[in-house]
Parts: sequence; structure tokens; C-alpha cells
Amino acid sequence: MKKNKATAALLWTAGVVLLWEGVAFFLANILHDKMANAKLPYLHSIIYTIAANFSEISNAALITVSKAATGFALGAAAGIMLAVIMSISKTAEKIAFPYLIISQMIPVLGLAPIIFNLVRNMDLSRIIIAAYLTFFPVAANMLGGLKSVEPEKRELMYSYAAKKRSVYIKLMLPFSLPYLMTGLKIAAPLSITASILVDMLGSKGGIGVKLLYSLYGGEKDIFWASVLVCAAIGMLSCFIIILAEKILIPWKKTSSGGEE
Amino acid sequence: MNNTPEITIKNVSMVYNDKGRDVTALSNVSLEIQKGEFISLLGPSGCGKTTLLRIIADLLQPTSGTVEVCGKSPREVRLEKKYGIVFQSPVLYDWRTVRKNICLPLELMKIDKAEQNNRVDALLEMIGLEKFQNHYPNQLSGGMQQRVGIARALAIQPEILLMDEPFSALDEFTREKLNEDLLRIWRKTNKTVIFVTHSIAESVFLSDRVCVLSPHPGRLSAVVDIDLPRPRTKEMRESPEFFNLVTKIRNSFEGV
Ligand SMILES: Nc1ncnc2c1ncn2[C@@H]1O[C@H](COP(=O)(O)OP(=O)(O)OP(=O)(O)O)[C@@H](O)[C@H]1O
Ligand SMILES: [Mg+2]
Repeated sequence: MKKNKATAALLWTAGVVLLWEGVAFFLANILHDKMANAKLPYLHSIIYTIAANFSEISNAALITVSKAATGFALGAAAGIMLAVIMSISKTAEKIAFPYLIISQMIPVLGLAPIIFNLVRNMDLSRIIIAAYLTFFPVAANMLGGLKSVEPEKRELMYSYAAKKRSVYIKLMLPFSLPYLMTGLKIAAPLSITASILVDMLGSKGGIGVKLLYSLYGGEKDIFWASVLVCAAIGMLSCFIIILAEKILIPWKKTSSGGEE
Repeated sequence: MNNTPEITIKNVSMVYNDKGRDVTALSNVSLEIQKGEFISLLGPSGCGKTTLLRIIADLLQPTSGTVEVCGKSPREVRLEKKYGIVFQSPVLYDWRTVRKNICLPLELMKIDKAEQNNRVDALLEMIGLEKFQNHYPNQLSGGMQQRVGIARALAIQPEILLMDEPFSALDEFTREKLNEDLLRIWRKTNKTVIFVTHSIAESVFLSDRVCVLSPHPGRLSAVVDIDLPRPRTKEMRESPEFFNLVTKIRNSFEGV
């Protein structure tokens, strides 16, 4: 079972690499496209660029990621808290839920400049936007989890005359953990995207800045290197959550990404 | 049998409202249960056994009628944690191991750790799942899960044990073994047991009295005294007295 999965992942990666190199070769040597290097440079040359500019690129990435992570943590905490409050009080849910939905209708692209103008601080804006994007999927999934606790499971607690606090700690929260992890899995790459986006609005450091400047400055290899690093960060964030899920939810039979 | 009953059920009726349609699940059920008695509620599916058990357990309010336990309301008795309930489905917490599931009520009652461990060890041995104590419920068979549910109900050492078809998911061998285990515990601890089943033989083997419920609407149609001697043994299952009682109860159904 595990072996199969590893083989599949390996094959898949190999396929992507081959396809990439193949298309790049096709553009450069068969179509003799003069722009081939800008349209799709060889993967190995991009990796070479990353290696050659490693400290520069990794520093930029670190700035973006650290802000994204802070925003992610804050957004997740706020999302969990709101979900718990909404599950405890119907009134709170009735008041908060419409705002939640409306908040999702504001495009981040529009929101980001507004926030930046308000706080006038790049780092803070990055954190706020990342938190904003994390918040909703976490709150919605967590609330979904809290609401799907089977009545019999609650009845058991009721029969022991358990206090509300115990009901939450011993039943509601552990039950909702898998739902929470689903929300976090959606939110993690989003928070990275948000942070990159805010970079582009004119911050000083950050991988988004590299992306933008190299695009306009004509440094194609740096541009592609940044794109690849952004993608890698996004995927990595998701993997970290999946790993956390494996550790935190040992009772789950099917591995994540299996069924459902 | 002559002192005041521990549980008094008086004219209890239960009408569910199912999407505007009234369903009478119980109609005018009255019953007195003595302390330490082993009572079975027997009847076909849908006759209101679970409903009656839930009313006693304070998980459901009757439409009319009253239940008193030692002069108290079911609610008071629940708050005093004197009920041990085995649900029709095991209702285990997936994120807790077998051991932790049995321990749950003890944690809630803040019983000290050493005592918790002692009790859980003893119960694990009784249900024969010592080797599985660190497994999660989804790694167990249905019958094993049900046994964990029983152990959990016994963990708080309740005065009244309410069991809703606890053995119906088990194979015949395990079932008969657990029947005997249950009787042994009952004899040792002098609990009052209300045991729901739809197996006539099981109800005869276990009970002091069998309450036969009939459906549509759920009524108490007969109460049969089981005067087999105690302790009950395997051999009794083949005795003519046993068969007579089974037949008597079966006939009381056909008379309905
Ligand atoms: N929540 C409910 N809403 C509406 N009707 C219900 C509800 N619960 C039970 N009933 C009805 O009440 C009747 C008695 O149900 P109950 O669950 O007490 O039966 P039972 O004797 O335990 O049956 P079984 O042996 O199948 O468990 C049934 O006809 C059922 O349809
Ligand atoms: Mg039932």
C-alpha cells in the first residue's frame, strides 16, 4: 500500500519533469523559438539559477513565508474561536454568519490595497491578509465539524451530566479535528498566496517582489526561479499540514487524500 | 418483593410527532421494579422498548405519566450519576483507545488515577479485550465494540444498569458467555438491571421478570415471572422448565 503510493508519486514527479524538459526542448530546438528561454526555460537551468542565487532567493522566500505563517496562525486561531462561539450560541451564529459570507465576496486583490492604506505597514498588511484568507475556510470547516457530532455521542455526555467545558474538551473538539485539518489544508497555500500578493503591492523584501522586479527587469531566470520557489512553498505548506494530520489523528483509518 | 419499589413507572405514554403525524410509541405503561431486580423488556422491533428505556434514563420526556426512582425524578438520578447506560449502538469515541473509552466516565467524575486504572484493568479482563486496550474502535469488530460499551457503562459502578439490546450484535458463543458474566456481576453488585432484548431465550435466562411489550401502540401486554433457581447455569437452558417459560412467553405474543 505505502510502497505503491511512493512509486506513484515518484512516477508522477518524473513525468512532470520529463514533460517540462520535453516542451522546453521542443520550443528551443524544434520550433527554434527565439523567446523559448522566456516562455519555458529548461527545468534544470531554473534549478541551477536557484542554486546560484540561493541566499538571495531563500531570504526573500523566508520573509514571505514567515509573514504568511504568522497570518495563518492568527487566522486559524480566530477561525477556531469563532466556530466554537457560533456552535455554543445560536444567536452568535445568526449574527456572525452573514458577515462571514459577505467577507468572502470581497476580492483580496481589492482588499489588499485598502488594508495597506489603513495600516501603512507592509509586514502587518501581509499578516492581516494572510489571516483574512485563512480565517474563513478554517471557521467554516471547524463549524461544520462541531455541527456534525452525532446526537448519540452528545447523549453519552449528557447521561454523565458532563459540564459544557468537558463536553467541548472531550467530545466536540477532538471530533472536529479532522474537519479542522481539512480547513487548514485549504488555508495554508492561500495564506502563502496572500503574502506573495501583498509583496507585489510594493514591499521591500519578499519573494513576490523578486517575482515582479525580475519580470519587468528582464531577468528571466530569476523570474522563473521565483515562480518555482513560490510553487514549492505552496506545496510544502500543504504537506506540512498533511504531516500534522497524520500525527494528530492516529485513529483515522484511511490516509488523507484517500477516499472522500 | 414486599418493600417499596425502587423504580415506579406510572401511566407513561409517549407520542412522537413525526412531521405533523403523531406516532404513539408507548401507551399507558405502568410497572414497578424492586431494587436489585433483573427485568427484561421484550418485544418486536418498534414496540417502544428503547423509548421506555430512554424515558427512565432521562434522555426523553414522556408525553404523560411519571417515572420515579427512589422517590426522585429520573433527572435527579442522572445528575447523581447512578445510571449506567449501554446504548443500542456502541457509541464509542473514535479518537480514544479502548482503554480510554472505558475510562471516559471516570475522568468526568474525577476519580483518582490509580482507581481508574484498577477498574479499567478489571473490566478489560472481564470483556476479554486486554490485548486490544490500545486499539482504536475502528480497529475492532462490532461485537468487540459493543463489549467496550458495556465495560464503560459498568465503570462508574452504577446502581441502575440500563441496557438496550447490548448483545444483539454478538455471535451466539460470545453472547452466552457475556450473559453469564452479566449475571455474575449482577449477583455480586446487587444492581437493578433493565435489559432490552428481542430474544425470548435470553430474557428467560437472565431475568427475574420479563415484561412483554406489544406494538402499535406500545403497551405492556404481559409480565411473566421467571422462577428458575439462581444461579442460572448453562444446563438450565435445556431444562423443561426453561422451555415451558419460553413457550409461555411466545404464546403471550400470539394472544396479542
Ligand atoms: N424520534 C422519533 N420520532 C418519531 N418516531 C419515533 C422516534 N423514535 C421512535 N419512534 C417510533 O416509536 C416507535 C418505538 O420506537 P423504539 O425505538 O422505542 O422501538 P424499539 O422497541 O426500541 O425497536 P427496536 O427493537 O427496533 O430497537 C417506533 O414505531 C418508531 O417508529
Ligand atoms: Mg430499540
